[in-house]
Amino acid sequence: MPPKTTPTLIGLLRPYRALITGLVVFAVLSNALALVIPKVIAYAIDSYTKGGFDLFTTTLEFFAIGVGILIFTYLQSVMQTYASERVARDLRNETAAKISVQDYVYIEEVTPSKLLTNLTSDADAVKTFVSQAIASIVSSLFLIVGASVLLLMINWKLGLVVLLLVPIIGVTFYTVLQRVRKLFTKAQEAVDWLNAVINESILGAALIRVVNAQDVEYKKFTDANTNSKNIGMGILRMFAILIPTITFVASLASLAVLTLGGHFVIVGSMTLGELTAFYSYLAILIFPIIIIGFMSNVIAQASASYARIAAVLNAPVKKDDGVVVAELTGLIDVKDVSVKFGEKYALKDVSFTIKPNTKTAIIGPTAAGKTQLLYILTALTKPETGTVSYDSCDIETYNKQSLHSQVGFVFQDSIIFNLTVRENIAFSTTVTDKDLEKAIETAELHDFVDTLQDGLDTVVSERGSSLSGGQKQRIMLARALALNPKVLLLDDFTARVDQKTEQKIVKNLEANYPDMTLVSVTQKIAPIENYDQIIVLMEGEVLAVGTHAQLLKTSPEYVQIYESQKSTSHYELQA
Amino acid sequence: MNYKLNQGENTETKGTLRAAFAKILPLMFAERKNMILACIAILINSGLTLVGPIIVGHTIDTYIRTGDYNGIVVFSVILLGIYLITFGAGYIQTTVMGGVGRRVLFNLRNEIFTKLSELPLAFFNANKSGDLISRINNDTDKLNQFFAQALMQFIGNIFVIIGAGIFLLALNVKLGIGALLPALGILIVTQLISPWIERTNLKSLRTLGSMSGEIQESLANFKVIVAFNRLDYFRNKFAEVNAKNFSASISAGLANNIFTPLYGFASNLAQMIVLSYGIYLIGTGQLTVGLLISFLLYVNNFYMPLRQIASIWSTFQLALASLDRISEVLALENTMEVLPHTEEPTHAKGVLEFANVSFAYENGKEVLRHTNIVLEKGKTYALVGPTGGGKTTTASLMARLYDPTEGTVLLNGRDIRTYTPQERSQKIGFILQEPTLFRGTVRDNLVYGSTEYASATNEDLMDILQEAGLGHLLERFDQGLATPVGTSSDSMSLGQRQLVAFIRAVLRKPELLILDEATANIDTVTEQLLEEVLKKLPSTTTRVIIAHRLNTIEEADEIFFINEGGVTSAGSMDHAVEMLLHGSRTS
Repeated sequence: MPPKTTPTLIGLLRPYRALITGLVVFAVLSNALALVIPKVIAYAIDSYTKGGFDLFTTTLEFFAIGVGILIFTYLQSVMQTYASERVARDLRNETAAKISVQDYVYIEEVTPSKLLTNLTSDADAVKTFVSQAIASIVSSLFLIVGASVLLLMINWKLGLVVLLLVPIIGVTFYTVLQRVRKLFTKAQEAVDWLNAVINESILGAALIRVVNAQDVEYKKFTDANTNSKNIGMGILRMFAILIPTITFVASLASLAVLTLGGHFVIVGSMTLGELTAFYSYLAILIFPIIIIGFMSNVIAQASASYARIAAVLNAPVKKDDGVVVAELTGLIDVKDVSVKFGEKYALKDVSFTIKPNTKTAIIGPTAAGKTQLLYILTALTKPETGTVSYDSCDIETYNKQSLHSQVGFVFQDSIIFNLTVRENIAFSTTVTDKDLEKAIETAELHDFVDTLQDGLDTVVSERGSSLSGGQKQRIMLARALALNPKVLLLDDFTARVDQKTEQKIVKNLEANYPDMTLVSVTQKIAPIENYDQIIVLMEGEVLAVGTHAQLLKTSPEYVQIYESQKSTSHYELQA
Repeated sequence: MNYKLNQGENTETKGTLRAAFAKILPLMFAERKNMILACIAILINSGLTLVGPIIVGHTIDTYIRTGDYNGIVVFSVILLGIYLITFGAGYIQTTVMGGVGRRVLFNLRNEIFTKLSELPLAFFNANKSGDLISRINNDTDKLNQFFAQALMQFIGNIFVIIGAGIFLLALNVKLGIGALLPALGILIVTQLISPWIERTNLKSLRTLGSMSGEIQESLANFKVIVAFNRLDYFRNKFAEVNAKNFSASISAGLANNIFTPLYGFASNLAQMIVLSYGIYLIGTGQLTVGLLISFLLYVNNFYMPLRQIASIWSTFQLALASLDRISEVLALENTMEVLPHTEEPTHAKGVLEFANVSFAYENGKEVLRHTNIVLEKGKTYALVGPTGGGKTTTASLMARLYDPTEGTVLLNGRDIRTYTPQERSQKIGFILQEPTLFRGTVRDNLVYGSTEYASATNEDLMDILQEAGLGHLLERFDQGLATPVGTSSDSMSLGQRQLVAFIRAVLRKPELLILDEATANIDTVTEQLLEEVLKKLPSTTTRVIIAHRLNTIEEADEIFFINEGGVTSAGSMDHAVEMLLHGSRTS
């Protein structure tokens, strides 16, 4: 990729020079042979009328040319299949590789659905360009020039008259196509919208059935569908004028050949064979003009698609310039951290310290910024202002790989990959069998794994619908534990795990990971009462920090939360 | 009914032209009037296009060769007239035929969507959503390309081919047969290789589907990939599916591209035969030079559209493969029909009753075994039990997201299957474990699917919310009703999304309200507010609450313990706690 120049399709094709050259050469060869055929016919007719016609030689010549064309066009199609598929494959791989070195913020900014389009339909548009446009345009140009030259050579006067019509067709086509192109863009937008509606109705299938909103979805859909149909009809009207016009102009050309050519034959300045050849070349001439028109559209689409892909490819990568690779002790300092979403603070001047080998809970109402805080602690997102440091070193100075392998994060929403249970848990590659075993045991997954048909090697499904919410949560926990992390971050882990299992897990954690520093975002006070530190977070601000006993005395907000849970707390204290 | 799509590889269909038409024609049945009109236009268009060469041949034979220039002029004028009529017919042909294609596509899309909304939840659980989306989007797109563009060319060309064929035979039978022989050969070859081509295309479409599924999954889960240092996972996994897609596409591409060279060859072969054999026939006095020229033009007229059909043949094959895949969806039947309602129940045991209900998933996993439960009006029930014990499934049966494999669920003493979806959704509110929100605003999501509130102004809606005690909950959203909701799951916290789902369900004042861990990620203070809302519900409202947190079920009148296929009444809260703490999961 040349630095900072606008990416062009031609530049993209440079590495495939050999294939493309082969493609062009075979296209030219097959078309050159095609241009010879009318000559052979003309010669045959003329030599027959004049006498001295050799049937065998003519037939043989004709057959040889036919076979030649067959071979060359087939080779051309092989070349273009390989070239186009390779371009698409490499482009996709390159894009995916680029995406994979980007950070989380970038993905959220660009949105996954746009990246999906880049990797699928945009890459396809470029593929279509290679597979259709290149050969078609080369062939068409060659045929137009070749047929024109031959027409002029046979009879330049008649040739000129016929060629006059070429620009007419060209200009008409170009003008209409300009208009159609705009409609095409609109049509694509309409289809995108249509797809979005379908997607929502698939992903929201359960809710739609619960509230019986099929009609709403259907209305959304028919609106989108009707819109798409109307735009399609608009395009159709353009073509309805265009195609007959071109045919008509082409017919005029053949009329000219008959009238003028007939005259020339009568006066003897042209032979009958030549007149026949004229007809044949005329047929050859018209089609390529139309093809070029269509292909200009393919090129425009491919250019737009490639520009979108190039934007992804050329997006700056936030370099991981962290060099510090050190074993964490678990000392975490958060200083004046603020995060803003638009005008609103998600976190505001948040500061606290977590000592090694301690347990810290972050408690607070919905939308208090708790999850955001965890994202910042794992360097998934960056605070606008303020710093986070581990062992007095800024988080930015750490090598991210080293950091992530020591900080385990159990996300709030269940994310299960379409892999085996084993691969889902040992998701990080550094996990040993021992780590895996310990993690499974700690997360109380043994019983569950035993019920699976293939045990750990059972593939679990994409949206994890074959697993219950709690099972998914525990797999997520095991995934984080398998890292043997120094620091474990839990985001509302207990929300979906039943009491009994939860208590077992807590015990297991203490027994199996004694040196781990734990940071737990939670709603429940009971399990965290004996934590070393509890941070009360509300509307992005730290309201109080302390132990359970301290907070009961100092923080009215904490007491409020406590009161709201108190009535049942005696149950949760059991066991 | 098994809703899993695409499992067998036996979707192989006969790739014959006839089979293809058998599939396409029924779709166009409703358009037969327009089709007739289009066909007339096509007939005129192609007929006149075909008359052209005859006139040219005639002019050459009778006037050019004899040097009668006046005759040439006369016939030129006739030709001009013919061309003008062709122009008009061509316009009508394109408009009408294209319109047919557009409308067929429109109807087909509607049909698919209607089917999607009819099919039960089991269908969506049985299939990867990424795969499903790709199937619907890509396949309708392929059909779009075919119906919007190729169909018109296809039909027009077929007419020209038939016409040219007839002319060739009519002008001179012997030469005509000679000219058509290569076409016969090529048709036989096409018939032979079509199934293979369709197969490779189907395979390539499938790999495309699994590729976009893979991308979707990876991108949606990017944060885990980052946090666990597995950026290589995305890269490698993608490279793997990409490589698969590459090899499948290469085979498909090579297969699709075989036609163009073959058809070109047939066309040249035909010209060769006409030229050589034609000159021989002229020598024996059976043909004139003018006729030979006409013949050569007809050969062009015959083979050129044939080549065009060959070039759109792959579009056609792709469309057929897509149609197959879509038909697979369309062929699925909703097994959850609304049964006819026969007699009024004599005695209703409570609002909802499970009568000897058993349920097992398609994969054989049994969740409920001969279960009997009665839920009485106005009471609060709690479902507790270990994770994976079947709480959500039980709740789903109550809302008829699934039908029991055995036994009946009765709503107000009537089989729940006899209620229309609308009646059912009015009576039952279900707050799902994973809240689903749609793009739009909080307001859009609250009134979603409701005929009652859809037209209410924001002020009216606020009043209604206040009255239901839901107003202050909106304070959790910075722009109130107007707060935008995005599709990305991180644009709004899980707790907030659960809040919207809660308000959405309560607003409808259902008779039976099911909360499936609906407040799991909502803080306890807000949760208390929600509890007050629940308490304020009319005394006739029955509540079913699934929760791990015991304080949420404290108020329950009855607690059911669900595990290992059994539902046991836990009696008191203490007993329930006892069961949860000490009840073993395997015994």
